[in-house]
Amino acid sequence: MAGEDVFAVPVFLVVFRESLETVIIVSVLLAFLKQTLDGPTTRNPQAYKKLVRQVWLGTGLGLLICLAVGGGIIGAFYKLGVNRWENSEGDYEGAFCLIASVIITVVGAALLRIGKMQEKWRVKLANAMVDKPETTGGAGKWAACKRFMEKYAMFALPFITVLREGIEAIVFVAGVSFSAPAKSVPLPVVTGLLVGALVGYILYKGGSTARLQVFLVFSTCLLYLVGAGLFSRAVWSFESARWAKAIGGDAAETGAGPGSYDISKSVWHVNCCSPVANGGSGWGFLQAVFGWTNSATYGSVISYNVYWLVVIAGFLTMRFHEVKGHWPLMKPKARLGSVVEQDSGSDVVDEKGSKGGIVQTKEATG
Amino acid sequence: MGGWPLALVAILSSVVTINAATVKYDFDIGWVTANPDGMADRPTIGINGQWPIPRIEATVGDRIIVNVLNSLGNQSTSLHFHGLFMNGTTHMDGPSQVTQCAIPPGSRFTYNFTVDQPGTYWYHSHTMGQYPDGLRGPLIINDPETPFKDLYDEELVLTVSDWYHDEMPGLLKFFISRFNPTGAEPVPKSALLNETQDLHVKLQPGRRYLFRMINIGAFAGQYVWFEGHNVTILEIDGVYTRPTEASMIYLSAAQRYSFVITARDDFSANFPFMASMDTDLFDQLPEDLNWNVTGWLVYDSKKPLPEPAVLYEPFEPFDDMALLPWDNQTIFREPDQTVSLDVIMDNLGDGANYAFFNNITYTRPKVPSLYTALTAGELATNPTVYSEYSHPFILERGQVVDIIVNNLDSGKHPFHLHGHHFQSVWRSEDGAGTFQDSNITADSFARVPMRRDTIVLHPEGNVVLRFRADNPGVWVFHCHLEWHVQSGLMATFVEAPLDLQKTLKIPDDHYAACAANGVPTAGNAAGNTIDLLDLRGQNAPPDPLPSGFTPRGIVALVFSCLAGIIGIAVVAWYGFAEPVESPPPSSLLGVDGAHDAKNSVAGEPELPVDGIAPVGAAAPGTGRGVAEDEIAPLRDGHH
Repeated sequence: MAGEDVFAVPVFLVVFRESLETVIIVSVLLAFLKQTLDGPTTRNPQAYKKLVRQVWLGTGLGLLICLAVGGGIIGAFYKLGVNRWENSEGDYEGAFCLIASVIITVVGAALLRIGKMQEKWRVKLANAMVDKPETTGGAGKWAACKRFMEKYAMFALPFITVLREGIEAIVFVAGVSFSAPAKSVPLPVVTGLLVGALVGYILYKGGSTARLQVFLVFSTCLLYLVGAGLFSRAVWSFESARWAKAIGGDAAETGAGPGSYDISKSVWHVNCCSPVANGGSGWGFLQAVFGWTNSATYGSVISYNVYWLVVIAGFLTMRFHEVKGHWPLMKPKARLGSVVEQDSGSDVVDEKGSKGGIVQTKEATG
Repeated sequence: MGGWPLALVAILSSVVTINAATVKYDFDIGWVTANPDGMADRPTIGINGQWPIPRIEATVGDRIIVNVLNSLGNQSTSLHFHGLFMNGTTHMDGPSQVTQCAIPPGSRFTYNFTVDQPGTYWYHSHTMGQYPDGLRGPLIINDPETPFKDLYDEELVLTVSDWYHDEMPGLLKFFISRFNPTGAEPVPKSALLNETQDLHVKLQPGRRYLFRMINIGAFAGQYVWFEGHNVTILEIDGVYTRPTEASMIYLSAAQRYSFVITARDDFSANFPFMASMDTDLFDQLPEDLNWNVTGWLVYDSKKPLPEPAVLYEPFEPFDDMALLPWDNQTIFREPDQTVSLDVIMDNLGDGANYAFFNNITYTRPKVPSLYTALTAGELATNPTVYSEYSHPFILERGQVVDIIVNNLDSGKHPFHLHGHHFQSVWRSEDGAGTFQDSNITADSFARVPMRRDTIVLHPEGNVVLRFRADNPGVWVFHCHLEWHVQSGLMATFVEAPLDLQKTLKIPDDHYAACAANGVPTAGNAAGNTIDLLDLRGQNAPPDPLPSGFTPRGIVALVFSCLAGIIGIAVVAWYGFAEPVESPPPSSLLGVDGAHDAKNSVAGEPELPVDGIAPVGAAAPGTGRGVAEDEIAPLRDGHH
């Protein structure tokens, strides 16, 4: 597994995604500050400087905590996992593939919405500023808290964002990385961070939201491909573990040739192109991205297709829900409907919003 | 188990009647319980309620009649008299679906033949890998004219064998299954001497004993040595040899050695002797396996039985190629026909591991090959009628035939030819590759070649075996590891089939066995009596493993790709989907009046803002929407 050994593709994708998001958020904040406090008409160098420092401080602190927590979690996972690894490698691999696949699938849907983020943030920040007078009018603890938050918003926002993106990434990486050896994690994490930051910067500089959305949708699609492959591989690994048990000591002898798979469950088996044998190299990459295997089973093929069916059905349902305001096959309920409308609305930024930023919002929750 | 006295005298029980030149045995073959290694009782195939089964013993020129009754109830059987030429009686040779139909449960069957060869033989089932379950015993042909009359005072029969605790049908089912893809042969549980352990062989000082030693095992070759005594080999596989001294011999499954041991002159001590299974054959060595079995040459039963000294491998047993036949028979002329067989192990489409000669794994024909030879008329000389899967070779009477066997496998294989001794004109060392590649010419062949009927082919080596087709019949050539017989390491020599048609008369009870089994007795290997060259319906091995994509695989791959593409399209579509028409901005301060108006529900503020909640449980903690929760307080004053 030469390539796969040091570079776990899913880890890269996840870290890349998360760092990209973080960069975008931070850059939006900075842009916002520049626009509002450092513009030709709205100069307030002192406040600007202070707030910019808050942004960077929040970002840095968030990042630091993430690294510490992440390192700890992953380290602990490995320590727990490694001992049992030898006994039933297939079972563990299967379980971790499954976990990774589920995480990718669930979170991937959430990630899809990032395309609209830049505008959203602008709106929110604008609102934050505009709302200020009204907010201060409140009383009691809640209001005090809010005032505090407002004061340090430029610290709290990037801090919480980075923290959350980071934890997210850690959960991701921890889950995904168990389908790969430990040494395959660091490199994609570092490159993911760098590439994410770079792309985020370029996109920010380019300033094209359309391109950003294309980019993010594209990377989410890639993530789903990975998820499908992982799901199929999970089933494959479980089967493979059972097969290794069934043939006992022969498992090591058979390599990728006859007997390395259960012929009665085989859909195809080609003696070349193994993603694991002889370094895997290109085929290992294809496995990571597209779920390729040289030895497909009924289980792995069916699970791959079922995965996609579920994902397709899931997105169609979600879209249905967004548009119609209720779930398919269910009567639109008043209460549910309201939630739905709000939900979909919460993402929505109309044309005016995306330009002006301050025009509207429907963060209706109190 | 300890200390069974060796039954040295011939078993002349009530089942044996010696009547002038006819020796008659009534064998009621049935199940008994045995536990020769003291580790496990197991059902064992015995004869007349006994196991070990009786020895068949006759004198050169005798007629042997064995009346078999199969009382097994659940298995068919047949008897092969290993090493006997069966000249003129090929139908008495025993392998089922080759020269007869297996004897079904409850049926009777008579083997009736004369023996013209002196020496040490054995008999065993030749049906469905059955003999390791117990149906295996010595067959001794005495020779009043033996040239070695003066070299020994007394004869002993000593068998060596391996022993399983499970019955062959179950072991075979596993062995030839997809769960055993490397074709690992089941490893025996014990080694036995005379089907027992801790054997005592009583010797008298100064006396000379002829040991007739037979490996009646299924699988394991055995190294045999006697502490404090050398052996003088006089015969191998029924071929007298020039007396040759050795300190250790190796007997593969089915091989025999007769040798003289001269007892020492004093009573001072007893001596252990050892049979040690050749563990090279074993795929793995179970921790609890004792691959040795010890016996003692007992001079004085009151004296202790010393533990055997430990010998370490590599053992250096006597090389049987060095033996010279007593009759000095010189090498036959250049062969008229050469058959080259490559030994290959490979997996077929059912995932199981099979053994191949060239690219053919032996598959039993529907009609016993002998019956095809007898009923195919002129076409009996056409190998097609016997089915390619019985791997037939047609020999003309009087031909000199070479069998070149190239071992492309990394294991040892003892090859046995029915109906003949072969001249072992060449045998390579381990790893020599194929004979064809090794540039060995006839000049290197032995001038007076060692002859026997079972020879060990070394790992990745080769042998050249030469014989004269002087015995019309149908003779199989196969590896005598019983596992490999079942996994197909067998070929069929059909020798002078037209002569057979003229001379051979199959007894009615042979046909009756077929009838009881529903096995056809005429026509080609597929049972076709009209068009003998039409083999449709023949028994065939499983198809080869597909080497690449099958239609099934292509369909699966296409569907998977389609699913992936459509899935990606849907994800992208969702990602790019225009947001649902947002309500007209009714207020600068975020109260979504339009929606409130439409769905004026009191509890609404409690509801999560996060629109992605329905997607999955993880969303509240991980989704993008959460960001809104966090930012909400920033601008939101009216809680």
